[in-house]
Amino acid sequence: MHALPQLIVSTILLGGIYALIAVGLTLIFGVMRVVNFAHGEFLMLGMYLAFWAFALLRLDPYVTLVLSLPLIFGFGWLSYRMVMRPVIHASHNVQIFTTVGLSIALQNVALVLWSADSQFVRTGYYTVVVRLGTAVLNLAQLIAFAVAVLTTAALFAFMRWSYTGKVMRATAQDRAVASLMGIDTGRVFALTWAVGVTCVGVAGVLLAPIYPVYPTVGLQFVLIAYVAVVLGGLGDMAGALLASLIVAAVEVIGSYVIGTAWKEVLYLLLFIGILVVRPAGLFGQRGAEAIGT
Amino acid sequence: MRHVKWAVVVCGVVAVALGVGAVQGQQLSGEYKIGVLEPLTGNLAVQGKLHLEGYEIMRDLINERFGGVMGKKLVFVTGDAVDPTVAASEATRLATREGVKIITGTFASTLCGAASEAASRQNAIYWETSCVDPRLTRRGLKNVFRTEIDGTGFGWYNIEFIAKHLAHRLGKKPNELRVAFLSEDSSYGQSVTEAARQRAKQEFGMQEVGAEFYTFTTNDLTPIILKLKNANPDVLHHIARDQDAILFWRQAREQNFQVKAVVHAGATGYGNPGFGKAFGNDANGPFALLEPGPGFIIAGMRPEGQRIERAFREAVKAKTGSDVLAGGHQLAGGGLWILKLALDAAKTDDLDKFRAAVLAMDLPVGSSINGWGVKFDETGQNSNPRVQHYMLQWQNGSLVTVWPEEFTTNRAKWIPLGAWDQRK
Repeated sequence: MHALPQLIVSTILLGGIYALIAVGLTLIFGVMRVVNFAHGEFLMLGMYLAFWAFALLRLDPYVTLVLSLPLIFGFGWLSYRMVMRPVIHASHNVQIFTTVGLSIALQNVALVLWSADSQFVRTGYYTVVVRLGTAVLNLAQLIAFAVAVLTTAALFAFMRWSYTGKVMRATAQDRAVASLMGIDTGRVFALTWAVGVTCVGVAGVLLAPIYPVYPTVGLQFVLIAYVAVVLGGLGDMAGALLASLIVAAVEVIGSYVIGTAWKEVLYLLLFIGILVVRPAGLFGQRGAEAIGT
Repeated sequence: MRHVKWAVVVCGVVAVALGVGAVQGQQLSGEYKIGVLEPLTGNLAVQGKLHLEGYEIMRDLINERFGGVMGKKLVFVTGDAVDPTVAASEATRLATREGVKIITGTFASTLCGAASEAASRQNAIYWETSCVDPRLTRRGLKNVFRTEIDGTGFGWYNIEFIAKHLAHRLGKKPNELRVAFLSEDSSYGQSVTEAARQRAKQEFGMQEVGAEFYTFTTNDLTPIILKLKNANPDVLHHIARDQDAILFWRQAREQNFQVKAVVHAGATGYGNPGFGKAFGNDANGPFALLEPGPGFIIAGMRPEGQRIERAFREAVKAKTGSDVLAGGHQLAGGGLWILKLALDAAKTDDLDKFRAAVLAMDLPVGSSINGWGVKFDETGQNSNPRVQHYMLQWQNGSLVTVWPEEFTTNRAKWIPLGAWDQRK
């Protein structure tokens, strides 16, 4: 039992990391109905951005985070214009192949440019920890968790109360009617994609002082983010946050009690079990396809 | 009389010079082509290209200074084994369309099985120089040979080091040592770990206080570290893949996990230069079983071994500008040199005669590159005690050779490992 405080802390911090990745994914799916298989590669690019800014310019990742927000948003917008816009009205199969292709292309560009070696941002404070009783919290992970909660809350509020958020929700509910009401759905999709990419890019910058970066690092996180998004209810941000914490709890506590080799089996069993009982996920409403609710 | 003496000396010098010149400048009659199969694109490409470079350096050395193979100029035809399916199809292409009788490669345990199966179907010889999957030589294939030890050999050497070096430095007998085994769950990690567990228990009676396997892409190793803290081992035998070593080391420090020694095997994880790049001096302490690194005493080898070792190191430096050899260079170069010796002895690539020549080779430790010797068994596997391996330790941001002590100028430090901030 003496390990329990540390296991709880580890669960919360790891869940925060998963949530940070999952919110952008759920936003894109909720509004655009596109499963973005390149989501992990945008995470990888965010991590490399932080690494190179640190290695070449000695910029702290948190400074990079602030400075790079417009850059990441612009990259997201550009990737929509170049890759997603031509297929946004195509079938799901075409969209899946497009994002899978984008994922493979980005991985291989990274491989050619930066090799398969793992790189790590070793800041002056990477060993700094915060003690909470007998539990130990890594400072960078604590910051990532705080940003995850803030991002989720901000996106939730944006979608629920802002005019643009309402426009995005209207487009998500019925894009044809939204067009008839004068909504420029093309701009809504571009904005949604760019915001989703910005969320995961921010996640990448925040993860750089915690995990090593290499071209396929996105795969390490994104499968779990998919599980969290579906478990929480596709398109539901609060659901994604809660589901991320549930997945992290199963992973951390399962590893300790049963064995690390079982952790994936455990959270995927939970995933299947919940979907059997609630096919739309914990917070999803079957058929409603709502967002921000 | 004095003139006669001088004449004898001069004649001797001329004869030696002519002899050396005869080998170095020997006219090679024709070409002998072999296939080199490595992953040259994709995630394994970094190591694959290093291996190819090692082969090329050794090939040029063999042709320019050591009389080629069977008196012919050695030439390569290469294939890109990006994954197991492509490895098999490329091995088939090399054997059927390029007509090679010998294929060497592929370094990765995920590739060598498929490539060697395909080579076997074409009755081609498969000469593995790096992959350590124990199953490679356990399928009864008469055409498969491996110059490097397999995963079980790594486990064998690690326990040798723990029992015969660490135990007395820690003031304990081997059977008093508490050892925890931790490994990523690939065939490599499992084979090394299981071999180490078996030898530790059966030969030395070490006390196993924990054994845990994990997926190397795991995102949090804190639960494992908490369990290790409870188990309180003297030695942690940890086989890591890559980023998992970095994550473990960071989180172990956060949790203030104190262990007296950490021992790894192979060029991944703690054996990867990326580990040192990630932590700098904070990487100090862990051991990794590898080919010889800085501090290696070449003069400790046999004369014939010294000759090829020095020539290879000079050639690598001329090509790369570095005094430090990469593991890929050492494994590929060392393996190709033994292939040359085997072909020269067999004088043919006929499988039966070649196999008989390989099995008849009997070279003591120190005869070849990396201080290796040669003694293949019936399965085509070179023997553990002959393929001398070395324990390297992270000291001040670099991996240096520390064991066996007769082969190195360096000595192992921080035994037992002190507090995290005192390993400077």
